[in-house]
Parts: sequence; C-alpha cells; structure tokens
Amino acid sequence: MRLDRTRRRAPIAMVVAVVATVLSLVSAATTREGVALSIAFDLAIACVTTLSLPDLKSSHPVVSRAALTLLALDVAIFITFFLNSSTNFNLATGAAMSIVLLGLSFLTGASGQISLGNGAFMGVGAFAMAIWSNHHATTPIFLTLLIAVACGALVGLLLGLPATRLRGPYLAGMTLAFAVAFTFILSSFNSWTGGDSGLQLPTEATAPRWLDGFFHAGTSPLTTTTLYITDFSIIVAGVAFFFMANLFASRTGRAMRLIRDNDVAAELVGISLPRTRVAAFIVSSAYAALGGALLTLINNSVSPQTYSFALSVTILSLIVIGGIGTISGAVIGGIIYAFSTNAISWITTQTGLNPQGNFASQLNGIIFGGLLILTMLFAPLGIAGALRHLWSRIRSRT
Amino acid sequence: MITIDDLTVSFGAVQALRSVSFVAETAKITAVLGANGAGKTTLLRTISGLKEPRSGTIRMDERNLVHRRTEDIARLGIGHVPEGRGVIGEFTVEENLRLGAMMAKVNLQQGLSEQYEQFPVLGERRRQHAAKLSGGERQMLAMARALIAKPSVLLLDEPSLGLAPLVTAQLMHTIQSLCDTSDLTVILVEQNASSALRIAHHAVVLHVGKVVANDAASVVAADENLRQYYLGLVE
Amino acid sequence: MDPFLTSRIVTDVLGGLTNGVIYGMVALSLVLIWRSTGVLNFAQGAMPMFATYVGFALLSYHFGYWPCVVACIIAGLLIGGLTERLLVRRLYGKPEINPIVVMVGFLIVLEAVAAAIWSSFPRSLPSPFSSIDWQLAGKPIALSPFTVYEIATGLLVMTAVAVLFRFTKLGLQLRASAVAPEVSRLLGVRVGRLLTLGWMLSTVVGVITTVLVSSNFFTGLTPQVMDGIFAFGFIAAAIGGLESPVGAIIAGILLGIANQFVTDFVNQNAVIIIALALLIVSLMIRPSGVFTKRTERRV
Ligand SMILES: Nc1ncnc2c1ncn2[C@@H]1O[C@H](COP(=O)(O)OP(=O)(O)OP(=O)(O)O)[C@@H](O)[C@H]1O
Ligand SMILES: [Mg+2]
Repeated sequence: MRLDRTRRRAPIAMVVAVVATVLSLVSAATTREGVALSIAFDLAIACVTTLSLPDLKSSHPVVSRAALTLLALDVAIFITFFLNSSTNFNLATGAAMSIVLLGLSFLTGASGQISLGNGAFMGVGAFAMAIWSNHHATTPIFLTLLIAVACGALVGLLLGLPATRLRGPYLAGMTLAFAVAFTFILSSFNSWTGGDSGLQLPTEATAPRWLDGFFHAGTSPLTTTTLYITDFSIIVAGVAFFFMANLFASRTGRAMRLIRDNDVAAELVGISLPRTRVAAFIVSSAYAALGGALLTLINNSVSPQTYSFALSVTILSLIVIGGIGTISGAVIGGIIYAFSTNAISWITTQTGLNPQGNFASQLNGIIFGGLLILTMLFAPLGIAGALRHLWSRIRSRT
Repeated sequence: MITIDDLTVSFGAVQALRSVSFVAETAKITAVLGANGAGKTTLLRTISGLKEPRSGTIRMDERNLVHRRTEDIARLGIGHVPEGRGVIGEFTVEENLRLGAMMAKVNLQQGLSEQYEQFPVLGERRRQHAAKLSGGERQMLAMARALIAKPSVLLLDEPSLGLAPLVTAQLMHTIQSLCDTSDLTVILVEQNASSALRIAHHAVVLHVGKVVANDAASVVAADENLRQYYLGLVE
Repeated sequence: MDPFLTSRIVTDVLGGLTNGVIYGMVALSLVLIWRSTGVLNFAQGAMPMFATYVGFALLSYHFGYWPCVVACIIAGLLIGGLTERLLVRRLYGKPEINPIVVMVGFLIVLEAVAAAIWSSFPRSLPSPFSSIDWQLAGKPIALSPFTVYEIATGLLVMTAVAVLFRFTKLGLQLRASAVAPEVSRLLGVRVGRLLTLGWMLSTVVGVITTVLVSSNFFTGLTPQVMDGIFAFGFIAAAIGGLESPVGAIIAGILLGIANQFVTDFVNQNAVIIIALALLIVSLMIRPSGVFTKRTERRV
C-alpha cells in the first residue's frame, strides 16, 4: 500500500527536481547573486527528492541513483561558487583523478586483479585529447572526450587480453612494464606528441554563451574559466560515477564480484572468467583515459613528464588509502589528491624542514608509500572501509 | 608411548574431537577406526602440531607436545605419513628419501640402502620423479621416507587407501614386522577396519569426534555392536 | 656475408650479453621469491638499491671498492631477512593484490628514503675495471674489462644458485619448502626459517646485480637505477615462465641480446616497446612460459 504510493510519488518528485534544476540554472544566467540563491533553492528541492529515497531505492534503483548523483552535483557546484580559483583548480584535478580511481577500484573489486599502469592509461587519454583537438579543433568537447575514452579502451584491450587470462601477478607486472615504457612510447612518436615539451590545446575551454551569466557577472576572466572548468569536471565525474554505480549493481557487476570472491564457483555457474576479466580491465583503462583527457582540458596542455611511472604509483596509493573496490573510496582518493600538495607543503612548513632540501622533496613518497603499506596491513578497505565499519557499529547500537 | 588426555579440537563451531583420551603403547600398533568425518585425520594432525587443540594434552613419553611447532615435533622422532601420501611429485624418489633423512642423525647412504632393500621397487626407480609412480609405489615411498629417519613413533593415515587387497596385506605385514623388530610406536588410522584389526594390538573407535571404544584389538573385533554400527563389518 | 654486417652482429651479441646477464639475474631473483612465497616482489629492484647505498656509504670512511661490496651484501642479507620477517610474513594467505600493493609501497618508501638521505644525483662508484672497450685491429669490440667483470660475475652467481639448489641439503630443503610446505614441516624442515633465507638469498642476488649495474661508469648509482631493469627482469621472468629459474635466465639473456639488436637497427626508444610486444605475444602463445615443460596441474 505504502510502497504503491511512493512508487507513484517518486518519479513525480524526480521530475520536479529536474525542472527545478533547469529553471534555477536559467534564472542564474542573469546575475551572479542569483546563482547562490537559485542553487540553494535547487538544493532544497533535491533534498525533498531524497526524502523519498529509501523507498525509491528498492522500487526504482536507477532513478534513485540519478537523484543521488544530482544531489551530490548540486552540493558540489554550489560549494565551488564560494571557493577561490586555486582551490577550485585543485578540486577540478581531484574530480578528474577520482574518475581514474573509480576505474581502478572497479577493476580490483570486479576481478581481484590490479593494474600498476593506470597513469599510463591516463596518459593515453590525455594525449588522445590533445592530439585530436590540435587536428580537429572544431569537434565538440564531448565527442573528443569520447574519442579519448575509446583510445584508452583499445589499449586496455591490447594489454589486457593476454594478461587477464592468467592468474597471479601477470596483469600487475605487465601494466608496470607498460607504465615504465609509456614515456618511451611517447618520445617514439615525437611528431605527434610534441616531444619533451608536450602539447597545448588550440583553444581554452570556456563556458558556452548561454551559460555566460552563470559564470561571469563581474568577475575576472581567469576566475570564470576556472570555475567553469571545475564545474564541468565535477559534472563529468558525476556522470562517470552514475554509470559505474549502475554497473556495480547490474548483473554483470554481480558476476564480476563473484569472480573476485570465488572464481571456481563463478565458472561453475557459467560465467566466462577471461571475458569478464578483460571487460573489467577495459572499463578501468577507459575510465583512466577519461580522467586523463579531462586533466588535459583542465591544464589546457599536456606534458609527457606528468605520465611517468610515479603517477601510476600515486594512483594506486590514492585508491588503496581511499578504499579499493569501493565507489566512495574513489571520491575520498580524489579529494586527497586535490589537496595533497597543499597538505604536504603545510607539513613541510610546520616541521621546519628546508623546503628545497632532499627530505622535503621526498616527503610525498615517504608519506604515500608508508600509508600504502600501513593501509594494506591494517585496514585493507581503506578509509571507506573504516567509515563503513564505524557506520555499521553506530547503526547497530541504536 | 603417546598419551592423549581429554583432547578437544574444533574448526570454528564444528567440534572434530571431543574429549578424546587413550594411550598408544610402545612397540604396539594402536588402530584408530571410524567412519568418514569421525576425526581420525584431525587426531593425527593435532599430534603433529598442524592443528592447535582447544584443550587437552598430548604427551610423548613425558614430554608435552601441545603448542610445539610441527617441525620440532617431527624432530622429536615422530614420523607422519599424511592422508593422500604427501610424496613430493616434483622430486625424484631419492630426493624424497634424502629429505626424509635430513633431520635424523643417520647415515644417508646406509639409510638409503636399507630402504631400497625393504622396498626394492624404489631402488629401481630412484631417479624417477615421484609423480610418475603408481599409487602403491607412492605409498611405499611415503613409508620409506618416514622410516629412513628411524622414528620412534609412526603416524599412518589410511595407508591402505586405494591399494589392492594383496598390496594392503603386504603393507600390513611390513608394519607388523617393523613393530616387532624395534621399539616403534604405531598409530594406524584406517577405514579398512578388518585388516587393521588383524595386526593391531589395541583399537580406538571414534564416532563423530568421540571415543566409543578403547580396548584390546581382539575385544573390539569381537564386539558385535561395534562391528555393526561403527565399523560397518557385517557378515 | 658482408664483413661489416658480421662484425656488427658480433658486437650486438656481445653487447647484449652484458645486459642479458643482468636481466637474467633480476628474473632469477624474482622467480626464487615467487616460487617459494607466492609473492611477486615489486621491490626486488629497490631493496638491493638501498643495500648498495648502505654498503657504499663506507666509501666516505676510506674503504675500498671490495670491502664496500661485502658491506652491500651484508646489508642485503639484513634487508631481505627483515623484510620477510616484518612485512611479507603478514601477507601469506591474503588475497593476491595485498602483497603486490605492499611491495609497491615498500618500493616507493625505499626510493624516497634513499633520495632523501643520499640525494637523487648519480653517485659514481670506483669500479676497479675500465669501461673502455678493447680494440681489435684498430676497431673497438663491444667488450671492456668492465663488461667481462659483469658477465663473469653474473654467470658465477647463476651457477652458484644452481649448484645450491640442485646439489646441497640446504637447496633440497629450500625447494621442498617452496613446493610442499606442510609435508616439509612434517619431515622436520624449518620452513619458516627457510622462507626468510630464500628472501635473503634473492636479495643478495639482487645486490650483486645492482652493484654491477651501478659500478658502470655511464650509469652510476641512483635511487631509480633499477626501475627500468626491473621492468625488463619481469618481462624476462614472465616470458620464461614465473615458475622456472632456468627459463628466467635464458629469457633474460635472450632479451638482452634482442634489445641490443633493436637499439642498433631501430632505436633506443623502441627497446622497451618491442620487449613489451614480445611479452604480449609470448603470453598469448604460451601462457605458462616459453621455457617451461608442459605438465598437468594437480588439483
Ligand atoms: N580444515 C577444516 N575446516 C573445517 N572443518 C574441518 C576441516 N578439516 C576437517 N574438518 C571437519 O572435522 C571433522 C573430522 O574430519 P577428519 O578429516 O578428521 O575426518 P576423518 O575421520 O579423517 O575422515 P575420513 O575417513 O573421511 O578421512 C569433519 O566433520 C570435517 O568436516
Ligand atoms: Mg581422514
């Protein structure tokens, strides 16, 4: 009885939320003061939607995930309007990184295997983006992003096909070799990749006309562009998370988790191990490529030094600390990445280390490497796992 | 002599052995009998320290064996021929035997020739990989590998499994003569109750982890109830 | 055949042999640990690197090259043993990715700490052998006293490991603990100690490799000195089959020679790309390794 009512109510609430979002965006297009207000209004609507979430979750899981994503995006975009541009810039890179982390988290969560080369897959996307834009400047951004994703998936297929068929550490070792080889691959194609100096994008990503008022209204162009690119990155990340959440919950996702937990049983119920593992690996490299392409967009340029083996290792550290195999771990890892440079320089000044000294320059590695070991030994599911554990204890107490 | 007192072993909620007590005398064969899942293998693995008991004691002569490491227990002179034989297939016959002789203070060459004398097949195949031996040959290798170290206690887990009746009889004979000619204490776990009872001096019958009989082998063999309900020996 | 081409080929083979021996040793040390403890040690380059820095720290106290090498080996024994006891031991029986992640973390920490203490600038080691190629009829051949030192030491180490494993009591126990730990314990083998010993041994093989690599006048010792070599070592080990020490060595040597040909006839950048391609193709054709005998897996 109750369920029937909510089932009818839920889509209606959704439609209201969507309409409210669109309306508020349009109204915001006029003045900047309006922006904050309208988003606050929009937020309120989204909250109303979420109130019906518990019921929605069981009756329309996809709709409920969409609502959650919308809500999270609302909150995030709302916040960006109050931050300075360097923080926003950090947030944008964090959003791009969280997409990469999500892919890696999915790979491990789905197949029990791990990749040490996602920095290189990021690089594939980043360079695909830059190369394509330099040759076809008129292609819409979305299309260019998709092309970059396709390139990542293709390279993933090539490497994943032999390695994922094998048990043991073959995938890890092979992706490590790929990560080490990547800079050499880039310089082998100097004429395409711009050699050591990398590539610039032909045009800066700026807000489309109809959103002008939303981002402009009396602020400096620099702030505006950063704000636009930040919100754009956050939205792309939101879409990526939405798809992944659905994939996790789908039949394919369940099959993949069964493989991780018990591959013999999975094979007995007729799941093809190699095919599923390759699929998971392709998804993870495609996500890495998307993150890399977005990063090119954010930086307006791409440099081969960024995509060294060190980046792959950073990616691994972030997702392990955040919580490997979980969706929230990718968000946490992205946030850590966004602010890690600031945090580490803060530590340097607080401890009075010479910022130019050997030790300060290696602090990053020492802290991340150390956390990687400690997390794996004492909390294998990272911060996300610890939070989940805490939450279930609080819930069981009440 | 092995003295087991009030031994309880569990796997999580499953109690595999419940308060088991018995004594295996020196220079005697003690048969441990029971159906599948009775706890026989668990008993031997606990004696060897591969499984920690929940409570109870295991003593060899006067020494307590509980909480000792498996390798230390082996070095006290307890030879264990595990279920499924446990020969190392990647190793040659001779390498298996060399590994067995490693810990004991015996002369390797002399030990090898003794075992080859006792099990001539092994001598013929000394350079062959153990994986290529037949089931019965592997059983002999496992026995020889335990015996080469001159143990004072021998734990045998279903040595007759998968062997032809004639081979089983030979094997039982070998065990019997070993016991007669030395001070070897043998704990013989068997499904094949009749052949084990024929050579054993003493018998312990386990049923879902509990001792249901602990008596001279002849007495157990003659007990109609035991034969029918626990040993499955119905004429 | 064209005499110029012939001499070029000979030069490539000789030049490749040096690198090949190095890759073979890294691959061997990886296989030793993989077989005995089921861990692919991603810090197999970094641990020896650290030991080499520690050992050659004695240079500041006016010790010569050889005493420093001995100190490196002792440091390697300690690092290998402690790593197994304190870090790796907690990971046996855990999901496959746990040891991978921990050893990658260890790799980062070791490289960062080494750079923090000794800086990232290449440090040249006072090799007692000249790196200048010998001349034959006025033309340099790809052999110098230093490369002969490298090849000879490498072959010596490989032979020593082979003899240890094939013909000694200790080797028998090491092999037994690797393939059948439980049965070995029942026979009185102290498996725990042997696993530690296996890590110590493999780290020492790594230390000797690192000393050879960084004694090279043109490379020197840096915290990242083994990164690329580790990648080639893994490729060799995977091509040869992670289970087979002999396969690893052969694949390593062949890979080194192949690399030299690629450097000579294509270019330097293509080397790792072609190595990666070789790995992909070989895994497609023979997943269990090119040099392993095909045996049925027991269940
Ligand atoms: N590793 C284990 N984990 C959980 N339970 C176990 C384990 N090993 C044995 N058990 C349980 O302990 C009980 C005794 O097993 P055990 O292997 O000792 O029997 P057994 O008498 O040797 O049987 P069989 O004649 O079939 O070899 C059984 O119920 C079994 O399910
Ligand atoms: Mg049994």
